[in-house]
Amino acid sequence: MTTTATAGAVYDRGYRPYDGPRGGRNAARYALYRASIRRALGIRRSWRQKVAPFVLLGIVTIPAIITVGVAYITRDQVNRQFQIITYREYVGVSSALLLFVALTAPDIICPDRRQHVLPLLFARPLTGIDYMLAKVGALFSILFLFSFLPQVVLFVGQALVSDSALDYTLDNLDVLWMVPVAVAVLAFYYASIGIAIASLCNRRIVAGASLIGLFLVSSVTSAVLVGDIEGEATGSAAALLDILVIPLYLRDVIFLGVQSSDSQLRGVENGGFYAYVVYVVVVATAFGVLLRRYRWTER
Amino acid sequence: MSTVAPLLRLDGLTKCYGAVTALDGLTIDIPPGRVGVVGANGAGKTTLFRIVLGLARPTAGSVEVHGASVAVDPIAVRSRLGYMPEHECLPLDQTAADVVATLGEIGGLPARAARQRASDVLDLVGLDEARFRPISGFSTGMRQRAKLAQALVGDPQLVLLDEPTAGLDPAGRDEMLTLVARLGTFGISVLMSTHLLDDVQQVCDHVLMIDGGRLVVAGPTDSLLERTGVVTVDVGDPHDAEHLRAELTRRGMTAEIVDDVVEVAVNGDEALDRVRDTVAELGLPLYRLGSRLTSLDEVFLRQATSR
Repeated sequence: MTTTATAGAVYDRGYRPYDGPRGGRNAARYALYRASIRRALGIRRSWRQKVAPFVLLGIVTIPAIITVGVAYITRDQVNRQFQIITYREYVGVSSALLLFVALTAPDIICPDRRQHVLPLLFARPLTGIDYMLAKVGALFSILFLFSFLPQVVLFVGQALVSDSALDYTLDNLDVLWMVPVAVAVLAFYYASIGIAIASLCNRRIVAGASLIGLFLVSSVTSAVLVGDIEGEATGSAAALLDILVIPLYLRDVIFLGVQSSDSQLRGVENGGFYAYVVYVVVVATAFGVLLRRYRWTER
Repeated sequence: MSTVAPLLRLDGLTKCYGAVTALDGLTIDIPPGRVGVVGANGAGKTTLFRIVLGLARPTAGSVEVHGASVAVDPIAVRSRLGYMPEHECLPLDQTAADVVATLGEIGGLPARAARQRASDVLDLVGLDEARFRPISGFSTGMRQRAKLAQALVGDPQLVLLDEPTAGLDPAGRDEMLTLVARLGTFGISVLMSTHLLDDVQQVCDHVLMIDGGRLVVAGPTDSLLERTGVVTVDVGDPHDAEHLRAELTRRGMTAEIVDDVVEVAVNGDEALDRVRDTVAELGLPLYRLGSRLTSLDEVFLRQATSR
């Protein structure tokens, strides 16, 4: 009697060698950068991990939506020369952004160390410098995106509700370079500090608290030394101790060429230059910490 | 050690951590295949792996992997290596598929190829159905398999396995050793560190024994296993074994039961013939008759104490 096999069969597919293209350090760095972005945005993770980034994006976009909405509602009024928020002011440090840095920087750094993943990474064509650049780059990209997208919403919305979108664009051409540059300055600063502080801690909560603590201590110290300068024409150089707002002094230089009237550095001679120096020192220190932290992989 | 081109060439390899010498002038050529690095805890096995990976710089000496110097181009060397650490090293909140694919990408594979190979190697190690589960829910055996999968995802020429059977129950250990043994058939060389000599004896073609950072002995596994002058006779049933032992003793031979087989001291072919004839005269089935070899434990202890 002839029988026909109807049941499933088990095949041992064995092992198939890979003979396709291989990348080197650049590919490794880029792969780690993409993996870090996915992790920060909660992609391929549970829905809980997606809440923080997208709530932040919503929060930081609200001012743009309100501004555009008000502009739309009042579009027919004769004297509508007002703005709820300017492009310069929109490049700012919100509590939501700080909280996001305090949550995200530890999340893309601490588990690698705490769960001993680093030996797996550094057993591949990746150096400590590559690792550092990938992590800072990932956080920078997200912060840039989350700070720049609302500006895009604001600009496009304002252009569309204006009498002439073309005229609005031509009138605000300088914004098209000022905003991305200022946002990049801000994002790079917080990405560097966030990753550097997080690299010193194994636990995410400790890293997040340390980051917020650093900003709070520097802000309070600066506020005590600066004192009450409300209404005075000249601010105080002691404001430079507040490392939280250093990028905002550079933002003023980018947008206005000088410190704005609401800046604590207003009237301080060479205040913008000193802010630039402090910015460089802080970022260099952050990278120094990172280099020291990850140079063991090169020994 | 062999006439074929060496997989690893260690030349005066020394590594000191302050006053502690972890490796002390290791010089040896290791051929391709499955090589066991044997030594007690602290013997220098992990240090050797770290140096091969370029994660630690030797105090003196050099290492070449397939002819490429680790000191000159560690990135090129690492791109063709796989590494399975001894300790826990996997991100617990990600799925095995994601972890292995991401590590494949970081190893240099294009994204699509990395995901395909992650699927393939997870299938190979027996995690095909569990690959979309978070690693935090894996048992120790499954985590060891996932660690092996990430070491294989880049199709390495050589994988470094640091205590691959650590923490596994006997069944898990057998399965892991079977997987390691299969790697040789795929053309992947294996450098496996362990302090379990049985593991090496089971799967490795060559053995490198180190103790206190120094080379104790190295060579093909078979050549290290010496004849002991004892033959083992397996007649299946334990009662039959006891019957045979009693008869051999009655005939003036030294015999004892070890693990349900009879071990008989012999001093030549004539004695071996007498053992065979005795089994035949008793009408017992003969499943196996062979010389008992020394275990690697005995070789290690003898070599280590004679230095």
